[in-house]
Amino acid sequence: MTARRAAVPADAAQLSVLMRFLQESATAVGLDAAQVSTFELALEEIFMNIVMHGSRPGIAPRVEVSLHRDAESVTMTVEDDGPEFDPLSLPPPDVMASLADQRVGGLGVFLVRKMMDSVRYARIAGRNQLRMSKHLGG
Amino acid sequence: MNLRIETIGEVSCVVPVGRLDFDAAPGFQEALERLLGGAGKPPAAVIIDGTGLEYVSSAGLRAFLLGARAAQRSGVAFALCALQPAVREVFELSGFSRIIPVHADRASALAQTQPGRA
Repeated sequence: MTARRAAVPADAAQLSVLMRFLQESATAVGLDAAQVSTFELALEEIFMNIVMHGSRPGIAPRVEVSLHRDAESVTMTVEDDGPEFDPLSLPPPDVMASLADQRVGGLGVFLVRKMMDSVRYARIAGRNQLRMSKHLGG
Repeated sequence: MNLRIETIGEVSCVVPVGRLDFDAAPGFQEALERLLGGAGKPPAAVIIDGTGLEYVSSAGLRAFLLGARAAQRSGVAFALCALQPAVREVFELSGFSRIIPVHADRASALAQTQPGRA
């Protein structure tokens, strides 16, 4: 029942700080390389979403990340105090059309939903909270 | 991330080594665009060899997508090969492996990539 926690401002330069936190925590709770890679991808996608969409001029939200392991699963929670935004409301990207089209939106969140076993959003006490869980094998 | 470009006849093999995250993606995209739309004659085909590619996020996928589009515009064939399991999973889950050809290794990519046909 280990929970580990880190907090940074929503600034792209801080992603490396969070990645170090994740790698250390993931090793400490006993995840294998493939599981670590899944959580790294989820953290990059969700954090960069907050950096790009949650900030107003001069104000960067504060982002808090925690990793928790119990017997069956590992859960990463990302919370921020930016404007209310549910990333799960983004429509899935149209990948087939994207070779001709201008851009692919919502690709990061789409990947996170595919790679995690459960992803839940809640707005709690003025904060966005995204909880992402992956079952452990066996 | 480091990038190496090897020329095999008229084919350019691009070998990215390391992590293709939001930080590395713009440089990778620029390198692909230089290769495809630069001053020199473009190659007949571009093959990305993923042997040393450890990690790709959506920012990296976008760079591949823009590379594939630039190749299509220039009439250059574009394919990937030798993806590591974690990177392959990202390509498959995203649906990108349906729009960009992915081969098991460089030899089959070279054999199956028709120059000038994306």
